[in-house]
Amino acid sequence: MSTRQKFIASANRGKILAKKCVKCGHVMLATFYYCQVCSSNTFKSLELEGTGIVVTFTIQTVAPEGFEDVGSYAWVVFKLDSADFRVSGFVDKITSAKDLTIGTRVKVTAYDPKHGLRLQKL
Amino acid sequence: MKSKVCVLGAGSTRYGKLTESIIEIGLDAAKDAIDSAGIIPKDIQAGYISNVFGVSDKQVHMAPVIMSNLGIPSVPGLTIESACGSGSVMFREAYANIAAGFYDCILGLGVEKITQTGTTESTTLFSYCSDYFYEGGNGASFPGLFASIARDYMVRYKANEEDLAHVAVKNHENGLLNPKAHVRKRITVDDVLKSPVVASPLKLYDCCPFSDGASAVILCTEEFAKKSGRPYIEIIGSGRGASPAAVQARENISTIPSTVAASAQAYKMAGITPKDIDFAEVHDCFTIAEIIDVEDLGFFEKGAAAHAVRAGRTRLRGDIPINPSGGLKSKGHPIGATGIGQVVEVFEQFTGKAGKRTVNNAEIALTHNFGATGASAAVHIFKKVE
Repeated sequence: MSTRQKFIASANRGKILAKKCVKCGHVMLATFYYCQVCSSNTFKSLELEGTGIVVTFTIQTVAPEGFEDVGSYAWVVFKLDSADFRVSGFVDKITSAKDLTIGTRVKVTAYDPKHGLRLQKL
Repeated sequence: MKSKVCVLGAGSTRYGKLTESIIEIGLDAAKDAIDSAGIIPKDIQAGYISNVFGVSDKQVHMAPVIMSNLGIPSVPGLTIESACGSGSVMFREAYANIAAGFYDCILGLGVEKITQTGTTESTTLFSYCSDYFYEGGNGASFPGLFASIARDYMVRYKANEEDLAHVAVKNHENGLLNPKAHVRKRITVDDVLKSPVVASPLKLYDCCPFSDGASAVILCTEEFAKKSGRPYIEIIGSGRGASPAAVQARENISTIPSTVAASAQAYKMAGITPKDIDFAEVHDCFTIAEIIDVEDLGFFEKGAAAHAVRAGRTRLRGDIPINPSGGLKSKGHPIGATGIGQVVEVFEQFTGKAGKRTVNNAEIALTHNFGATGASAAVHIFKKVE
């Protein structure tokens, strides 16, 4: 399994696959090949709870191809509760900024083969 | 550095929805630049091309095709892609090759043809310029990515949608004076606010258009330029920068690190500060981008640009005119050409060809162009040569 495939498998369990640098302790997304802080490439794999708070978001009128069947959704950047980094995903059934605000709590529910990281409001 | 590097000639097609093929558009701009420089194709020692979506008009490996059609098939060329920043990144490489002494004269040509695809297909193609696994693949379009940046900025600095609208109004005002601009239409703040939402909080008039077009310049050594007896401008600063590819990976979403780094290098090389810049062409793919650009370039403190734009300080007769050409917003954004189009504007401004959009008493100008949400950027500083 490639790293991205493992990330997807974790997302389907509601988790975010991360890694911890053995040398400096920095925690980052699993998809990085070298530590962002010390450039080491020795890591311990971590599976983090996929919960966090919305940092910013948008609701688009024209979505890229393949997202026509999602309906109105929000593309969201959220900060994980259990690590100091952010991840992006989408929350469906969001039609206006009244449905979502910065600070809303969200959780990972799955990795949709067509649409990527699926989130839902908590 | 073996030589000072100059821009001796410049030319552009009209930006907009063009019917010619991508190669014809490119050749038209190349011919304009060659004629403007008063040279012949055989004076060119290398061809640098910037392009992103040539495949959508059935042409990749563009440089040899362009050089062959210019009648100089033995002159080496290459094509450079850096998303919407392709033009300035290519310009930097051409600049560096002349500065290093490899060539005396280079054609730098940026070209794009995209409007033959529909809005959904274009939106999709552009999304491939993002960090696709985390952004485009999760449903983010480019308006969406910049909308998420705008939302962060507006909360962080207490700005509002009307502040963004003032950028669009100003750039459309300038674009009306540019005969080659894509969208030549006067608009009001109310027009912007009432235009359809594309990606909240951005509306149609907050977004640049999808454009076709090409721009070309002739870069050369100072000796080559002087010998020509033609008007030229000098490049006095050049900088490159990079940012995390994904918006999610940036500590502060409302600043673009590549712009900060590239401009710092360019200012240092030129031995000047932002206060010495008389006008700038900046990357306003969306209104929020121009607000962030002018702060990251050091013209205003972080969070202060919205007020400055409202006060008219960035208008054509303001104290720091921004995008006298109309910018990407009004002039248009043929993404492979945009960075070179900015240099064309500076050349026209400094050689008496900008007509009514001429910035008064300008002697030093800056160009700033980035790729995607600022993952790559280049900044150049130019001096008028009397």
